[in-house]
Amino acid sequence: MLTFISYWRAAAIVLNDLASSAFYACGIAEQAVGKSAPWFIVGVMLFSFTVRAVYVESCSMFVRGGVYRVVKEALGGTLAKLSVSALMFDYVLTGPISGVSAGQYIVGLLNEVMVTADAHGWIPRAVHNIFHGTPQLNVNWTSVVFALAVTIYYWWENIKGIHESSEKALWVMQITTVMVVMLLGWSGFTLLKNGFQHVPLPSPGNLHFTSESLGFLHHRFPGQSLPQMFGVLGILIAFGHSVLAMSGEESLAQVNRELAHPKLKNLKRTAIVIALYSFIFTGLTALLAVMLIPDSVRVPVYKDNLIAGLAMYMYGPEIVRLIFRGFVVVVGFLILSGAVNTAIIGSNGVLNRVSEDGVLADWFRLPHRKYGTSFRIINLIVGLQLFTIIASRGDVYALGEAYAFGVIWSFAFKGLAMLVLRFKYKGERGWKVPINFHIAGYEIPFGMASVTMVLLAVALVNLFTKSVATVSGVTFSAVFFVIFTLSEYANRKKHAKGQQQNDQFQLLQRDTVERESLNIHPGNILVPVRDYNTLTHLHWALEKINTLEQDVVVMSARISRFGAAAYDLTPEQIFSDYEQTLFTRAVAVAESFGKKVSLLVVPAVDVWAAIVQTANNLESSAVVAGVSSKMSPPEQAFNLGRAWEALPEPKRQFVFQVVYPDDHVESFRIGPHSPSMKDEDVLLLHRLWLNITREPGLDKLHHHEILREALTRFAHDYGARDRDDILKELRRLNATDAAESGRGSPNASPAPVVQRESDDGPPANRSS
Amino acid sequence: MDFIITIAARLLEGMFVVGLLGSLGVLLVSFVEDAETLFDLEDKGHS
Repeated sequence: MLTFISYWRAAAIVLNDLASSAFYACGIAEQAVGKSAPWFIVGVMLFSFTVRAVYVESCSMFVRGGVYRVVKEALGGTLAKLSVSALMFDYVLTGPISGVSAGQYIVGLLNEVMVTADAHGWIPRAVHNIFHGTPQLNVNWTSVVFALAVTIYYWWENIKGIHESSEKALWVMQITTVMVVMLLGWSGFTLLKNGFQHVPLPSPGNLHFTSESLGFLHHRFPGQSLPQMFGVLGILIAFGHSVLAMSGEESLAQVNRELAHPKLKNLKRTAIVIALYSFIFTGLTALLAVMLIPDSVRVPVYKDNLIAGLAMYMYGPEIVRLIFRGFVVVVGFLILSGAVNTAIIGSNGVLNRVSEDGVLADWFRLPHRKYGTSFRIINLIVGLQLFTIIASRGDVYALGEAYAFGVIWSFAFKGLAMLVLRFKYKGERGWKVPINFHIAGYEIPFGMASVTMVLLAVALVNLFTKSVATVSGVTFSAVFFVIFTLSEYANRKKHAKGQQQNDQFQLLQRDTVERESLNIHPGNILVPVRDYNTLTHLHWALEKINTLEQDVVVMSARISRFGAAAYDLTPEQIFSDYEQTLFTRAVAVAESFGKKVSLLVVPAVDVWAAIVQTANNLESSAVVAGVSSKMSPPEQAFNLGRAWEALPEPKRQFVFQVVYPDDHVESFRIGPHSPSMKDEDVLLLHRLWLNITREPGLDKLHHHEILREALTRFAHDYGARDRDDILKELRRLNATDAAESGRGSPNASPAPVVQRESDDGPPANRSS
Repeated sequence: MDFIITIAARLLEGMFVVGLLGSLGVLLVSFVEDAETLFDLEDKGHS
């Protein structure tokens, strides 16, 4: 079954990545640019509102509107592979930096607890002697162990599937919110009670770059102050060192395909929630850290666990502060490990998208036998993350520097591609980044161009100032680019050129179609599909139906000489490449609405028999089909009605609806039903009723009682001497009706148990 | 060489400053729409 998630869940998944930056971004930025770093973090978080707008626009154009898809549409396959390589660098580093940072918070707390315990004499002398003083864990290597453990845990969670992961993400964000409220409230109280340190304004004179944070520029201008030489360039460099605070926006594009209906509205809500949340949390926490933690300990002691330091400098008793620090560490561990999860989900989504385009071999996308997840892609990502964690040796600053490369270059490619698409793309676009004006009939996307200019300027300057990031990022991206290119070449040889790759489906085989075992509710809508180019009827059904109240089952009848009861069909016989393409298209339609559907393949000898049998077994209230190229809707209804007649008892009635390409619908009732009566027949019945009710003792007679008597007499006559006369008269009537309605041959048989209906929507769920 | 670096630096600075001003505009303009979306005022306005 294809299911979708609410915007709260989607926001929680993205925030696990985006908001987790608060735990390390300011510490890294301050080491690079000095004490005014919080202003740059606040600036970056404000700017992230505009980057989010770029993502909303791209997702309103393509359901899977991540970097790869957008850059490919705008700038071609080569740059798309390059951009997605940078993005993979971002994702591969998101996990390690988050995991290691979580470890830093935990080890920092454990070491502090041991110092306190030792000061109170609670640590035995023997232990003290073994460690030659207070026992202390090696911060970096213990963090590595934590990061490895968390990554392996979430690897297993993702192998099992996204729904379980989104549940945890939501829970983590709820606990984080409690901590954020406490942190901000208590910090405000502390500011009032203790006062605060001044945070230097973000002017060139207040910037203090280290040789490390100037990268290649340090070698070019040794001993010179670049901010004083260029002014604004210093601001730009500092902004570049803070940009990792908004990492995680790409996850928005990855969760978009999972978002429930109404898609665009929920996407906008998700985007607003994540932008506001991360601005408040990351931006304000950065400012508070510098305002409240003394300079003497902020960078030397708390650079890698700044929020823990903030907890220790609140107003109040030491024991309460220590308890709150413990809470901060627990929350930090949860959200940062949640970011490890989001990184796996996001990169899995990106590589699946790339793989669908034939850039990665099909082998990567084969679903897990039990859980149906793309476990090989997950294994690849997690393998790279584990390697990065060990290679980093627990150095958060180095990881952060490298991380920023992937973040900013994937954003820059995205912005540039979206700008190009403003002129190139003519398809549907649900929303646009604002500030667009028209000159001589041309739309000038001023807002989009502005955001792109900032992203490109930061990306270019980072190339020179982040030497570690540039070297590692370029190397990693080049390796991934080569892998993508070679894999694409191999795939092209294997598949026909230009052939679209399909989604992978996990087959759950059953001997019979049973509603309960498929977890489908009575009164559902059955949508038979056959031609993947004509899915208008599925589009129509999903548009009309609230899938939270009524299930939609997309069914393909696989014609087989073995029939529906054959147990020994192989998966390839039931689910061929054709069914795979068909369901890929059906899933794309469902994704565009964000509405859940169930997919079903039924082996059958006769397609009509398969449809009615399935509708009956699933207790469907309606069957929605497209117009056949071989027969008219009444003929389709006739065939379905005949198949229904052949069905053994017990059997249920249902409505059969045929949707034309222009969304016009013809409805028929399948099964015994009240016949549609002509006006003159109704008048005749009414006249009879008026006359008969004048007779003594019959004043309370009903119309249906007259009909019953008439039909009983008719049945008697038909079974006795008047059969030939009756048949002759019925043939005459049928010929007259056919001539009046212009439906052709007077000899055509009326559809058994089929009645034309006039309603324009699928029947509501009768069981609800 | 220094001349080229100076030109490149000024170009980046120009992109950055103009881009930031435009982004500020995007931020302000989208603020109202964001509020409407968040508080579900879009539909009510149309109904």
